[in-house]
Amino acid sequence: MRLRWGWFILPSLVVSGVLLFLSQAVFLRVSFFRDRGFGRVEADLTLANYVRVLTDPFYLRSLLLTAEVALIVVAVSLLLGYPAAYILARMRSRWAPALLAGLVVTALVAEVIKVLGLIVIFSADGPLNRFLVDGLGLAAPVRFLGTMHGVVIGLLHFTLGFVVLLLFAVIQTIPRSLEEAAQGMGAGRLRVFWRVVLPLSLPGILVAALVVFNLAMGAFTAAALVGGGRFLTLPVLIERTLILETKYAMAAALSAVLLAVVMLVNALAATLLARSRLARLQGVA
Amino acid sequence: MSGGGRIGRVAAGAFLAALYLFLFAPLLVVAGASLGGGDRPYVRFPPDTWSLEWYRRMPPGYLESLQVSALLAAATAVAALFLAVPAALALVRGRFPGRRLAGVMLRAPLQIPYVVTGIAFLQTYYLVGGAVGLNLRGHPVGLLLGHVFLATPYAIGALVAVLERFPPRLEEAAQGLGASGWRVFRRVTLPLIAPGIYAGGLYAFIVSFGEVPVALFLGGPGVTTFPVQVFAAMQFDFSPSLLAISTLTLIVSLVLLLALQRLIGIDTLLRAGGGRR
Repeated sequence: MRLRWGWFILPSLVVSGVLLFLSQAVFLRVSFFRDRGFGRVEADLTLANYVRVLTDPFYLRSLLLTAEVALIVVAVSLLLGYPAAYILARMRSRWAPALLAGLVVTALVAEVIKVLGLIVIFSADGPLNRFLVDGLGLAAPVRFLGTMHGVVIGLLHFTLGFVVLLLFAVIQTIPRSLEEAAQGMGAGRLRVFWRVVLPLSLPGILVAALVVFNLAMGAFTAAALVGGGRFLTLPVLIERTLILETKYAMAAALSAVLLAVVMLVNALAATLLARSRLARLQGVA
Repeated sequence: MSGGGRIGRVAAGAFLAALYLFLFAPLLVVAGASLGGGDRPYVRFPPDTWSLEWYRRMPPGYLESLQVSALLAAATAVAALFLAVPAALALVRGRFPGRRLAGVMLRAPLQIPYVVTGIAFLQTYYLVGGAVGLNLRGHPVGLLLGHVFLATPYAIGALVAVLERFPPRLEEAAQGLGASGWRVFRRVTLPLIAPGIYAGGLYAFIVSFGEVPVALFLGGPGVTTFPVQVFAAMQFDFSPSLLAISTLTLIVSLVLLLALQRLIGIDTLLRAGGGRR
């Protein structure tokens, strides 16, 4: 008799399924009411919250700002993360395992601790600004809190470790012998990279980009602490709407819009990914 | 690097060094600055004077929140594993209709922003509270449910990654030799997936231990987690003792991670976590 492993799916499917569908249905329903303040809502269903989110410049700006920050973080994460992952994957050094362990450690430390450290480093009289002002003679300290570059740096610190680990796993699957073969046939290093390594890692890059995009769109802790109430991305605005303004329906509508954007991009990427895998298969055939 | 020139190697080394400096500097600065002292709540790195004062004058709420977080994260890890071990076995070994769909559904919490999960659970708790008078907001069980929801997909991911490396033939052989189903599980399957259990439990623990928005929305007086405590203190009443408690947490996390890495190897830790976040 074969073991019937299939039934083992039931406990997790029931628990996760109930929590997922119940919680999503409840919050989506709340988003269709009108706030009366102090967490209470009116009885009639309305689209007013969504109309407001998509027409009020205040909310629109926050949505665009969130997308802009997320796209910048994706681009910089890949630009810095890919070379780092490539170096780590191709290095023949006994330090390689320790370097990887270091990445795991920084990726797993509680985010509030890392943001606390970043804020000390970038504060007006912190080590970085003392170096820039006293050492290099900069006129005024660089501001970090409440700025776009501050929030981007805060999110980068959060995503970079993950990106390097993800891309490391991808590049490791590309045999070194492929590069050596191409070089043996006279291709320069740049050409080998451009024509062999990069195309082969493209699906992995897309996956990494998607992971970072999801993390950055939903990033709350670093965005709230570094943004300091002046730079409001959507997750931060949702928290303020919920806790400071106690507008539960509006917060739910903002959450629904954020969720919709993230899901849309994920669906789009999934289609792209399926197509690129297909293209590769056809290329082989 | 194969055939790389000397300049290329130096540039690569410098690039890596800069990256690691960026990643590790905040941790070193927190630990260094925590050893400062003085009466004013004034943070400086490197400190002007060195002392353990901020460790001695730790507000009681800080240690309490650390205790809440440790208990919550441990409970989350155990609960997530009880769901994840059978789920991973079913996903890898099972042949049943809708298997792929089940996998997609179990991974769904990974794609939902934490803030959205927090709001969704909060509204659900209000609804349940209004209907049956069971108030889960500010209750440890409410927080636990939220964290189990967030953490289970990570545990499943870790276990699936480990399971995919072992052929089911081993279990089938044990069964062919007459072992009962439970005995096969205890003596063959469980030892095989032990690294996945450690790694999955670790990821579940980490998610619960580091996460702010869900714990912020679902917590309340008496159930303030460590990250929420630090988050709130950084916004409203900064105290240098934050650096001290963060450093203590950092040291404990490092020791735990190193111990676990000894136990299961960096390779499993990477494979189990890399693709899932």
